[in-house]
Amino acid sequence: MEINFITGKGGVGKSAVAAAMAVQKAKSGMKTILVELGDQSFFQDYFLVPTVNYKPTGLQLCKQSLDVSLWTGQECLKEYAMHILKIQSLYHLFFENAVSRALINVAPALPELAILGKITSGPPRNVGPKMPYDCIVVDAYASGHFSALLRAPAGLAQAVRFGPMGEQVRSIDAVLKDNKICNYYVVALPEELPIIEGLELAQSIEDVVRIKPKMILNKMLSMHSGWQKKENKTTQELQPFVDYIESLSGRQKQMLKRLNESSFSSFTLPWVLKNEAEKVIEALAQKLDEGGLQNV
Amino acid sequence: MFKILNTARVLICVGSGGVGKTTLAASLGFMAAKQGRRVLVLTIDPSQRLKTTLNLSETGQISKLNHPEIKGEFSAAVIDAKKTFDEFVEKAAGSPELAQKILNNRLYQQLSTTLNGSQEFTALEKLYANYECKDFDLIILDTPPTKHAIDFLNAPQKLSVLFNEGVAKWFRKPKKGRNLISKIMHTGTLQVLKALESLTGSEFMHELADFFENIESWQSKLEERVTAVHRLLVHSDTHFCLVTSFDQAKLKEAAYFSKEIRKGGYRLTAVIINRAFPTWLARIKTGLEVKGDSWLERQFLDFRGYYQTRDQFYKVFAKDIIQQSQEAGIIHQLPEFDRDIANLDDVAELAICIEQGGRKI
Repeated sequence: MEINFITGKGGVGKSAVAAAMAVQKAKSGMKTILVELGDQSFFQDYFLVPTVNYKPTGLQLCKQSLDVSLWTGQECLKEYAMHILKIQSLYHLFFENAVSRALINVAPALPELAILGKITSGPPRNVGPKMPYDCIVVDAYASGHFSALLRAPAGLAQAVRFGPMGEQVRSIDAVLKDNKICNYYVVALPEELPIIEGLELAQSIEDVVRIKPKMILNKMLSMHSGWQKKENKTTQELQPFVDYIESLSGRQKQMLKRLNESSFSSFTLPWVLKNEAEKVIEALAQKLDEGGLQNV
Repeated sequence: MFKILNTARVLICVGSGGVGKTTLAASLGFMAAKQGRRVLVLTIDPSQRLKTTLNLSETGQISKLNHPEIKGEFSAAVIDAKKTFDEFVEKAAGSPELAQKILNNRLYQQLSTTLNGSQEFTALEKLYANYECKDFDLIILDTPPTKHAIDFLNAPQKLSVLFNEGVAKWFRKPKKGRNLISKIMHTGTLQVLKALESLTGSEFMHELADFFENIESWQSKLEERVTAVHRLLVHSDTHFCLVTSFDQAKLKEAAYFSKEIRKGGYRLTAVIINRAFPTWLARIKTGLEVKGDSWLERQFLDFRGYYQTRDQFYKVFAKDIIQQSQEAGIIHQLPEFDRDIANLDDVAELAICIEQGGRKI
């Protein structure tokens, strides 16, 4: 079992990178599920499919078969409770009641824990319903929300030492810290603020799980070396564009340098000038396959 | 454009994470301050963007910013969610002992920082407190980064349910001499609590009960606050500004959100599409014929094609938004800047760009 968490500041292309990684994993022969967290699905609009919800939806993406699913704290908890309680009536009393539903939704750290419990429910924990996957790719929350999610089990392990909950939080925490199972990726753009925030996030992840996240620098321009010499008269009319890509690639190189000076390993992904989700994902997956992932 | 900046008392910038809300909130604030108004821009951790852009050092402190173009006042503050929540508890608890008790509860410590909705509540709490003290003519709130913009509006209600009488009652021991009906009801809740206990263990339940007992004293204050904040949000001097980026999925989400805002009875006055087009493209002759003989030409064609396709998505979106609002001027498109917005001068420049109305389509 392999778990890949993809996070980063909002708007850096996290979801596209997560989808591309899922495609690449599926291509390498692993039975893969792409999971998004939150109350509403982004992938539904992104892949233009009718619905994405808790029950996995089978998807043909870039000629690969994979499942996509949306996990909310409440659904995860519901499934787990069903598995443990096994009594339908109690279950209904519990989840169909407006007040208890509200309690579950807001009871401190319960939803967070349920989500992490579900993500880590495979081996070696083997808790709850079986998940028939070799690989989970989690399109996780953005920056601060994600570190808060990761901190939930350790924080609760201190507050609740005994009972089923105490046991669960400790074993979830152990899986999150196991570098043979979990990989953490922080996606950033080659711009100043996303890089600063990305590096801060990577550090806070390392502080919690003691695994070094890998940085992914998304949307890099790939400049053709020596292109200037070959250009002729058209350059005059295209001068604003030339100025633009020169200044952009200059700034991007600076940002890459900054990233390389950090203690985190990184790799880059190209800016895919396509608007169709599948084409973007295909190009990114190709790049990951060509060695982006292995180069780390 | 943006006449409301002269009259509005509250402007709330909403939108999903990473679309540039913070920078725009600062620029809109700068515009209003230029016109002579006393403006406060509030932003929330953990994104820390305004902090970097506006050189704010300490969180929680309101700092006044100087710029030659400002005729009024321009202040900004970063909201420290934990501190704001703690302060609220201290005020609401009634006595320092009770406040300390709740601050020491280990579940509260999780709640005030990670709880679903607590960040949104603290943002609105800070907004309301500053609104009440009347030190500012206009307060602009940059909402917390949520994956989906709609989460922000639902959060306070979510939190308020937790504190409503119903939930807290569950954990109270039944008093003697209660009537039969309340006893039966208590039996029902006991079953639910038992189920929860078998899932979590007695220690967790103990903490939870302790938590609910302790918050009893301030639940009415919290509910009062949630109601007051809601009244402020639907007030005629409060406006919403939706910020979105320019790709198909985000535009779809923005269209959905704008419907939700209206359904809730809020005033959506502007939709800003950020980074909608690059400035360089406007400087190149429209329809310039390029064959694609060289690397540069092929790059150019790729870029131009990319932005042209995005304009198609935009047309669908604009039709929907304008139909909803019955107002053609509601959408504003802003360019993709050639550099990072890094200081107050950049903010001023962006403000001029907004004033000029971005691009007309």
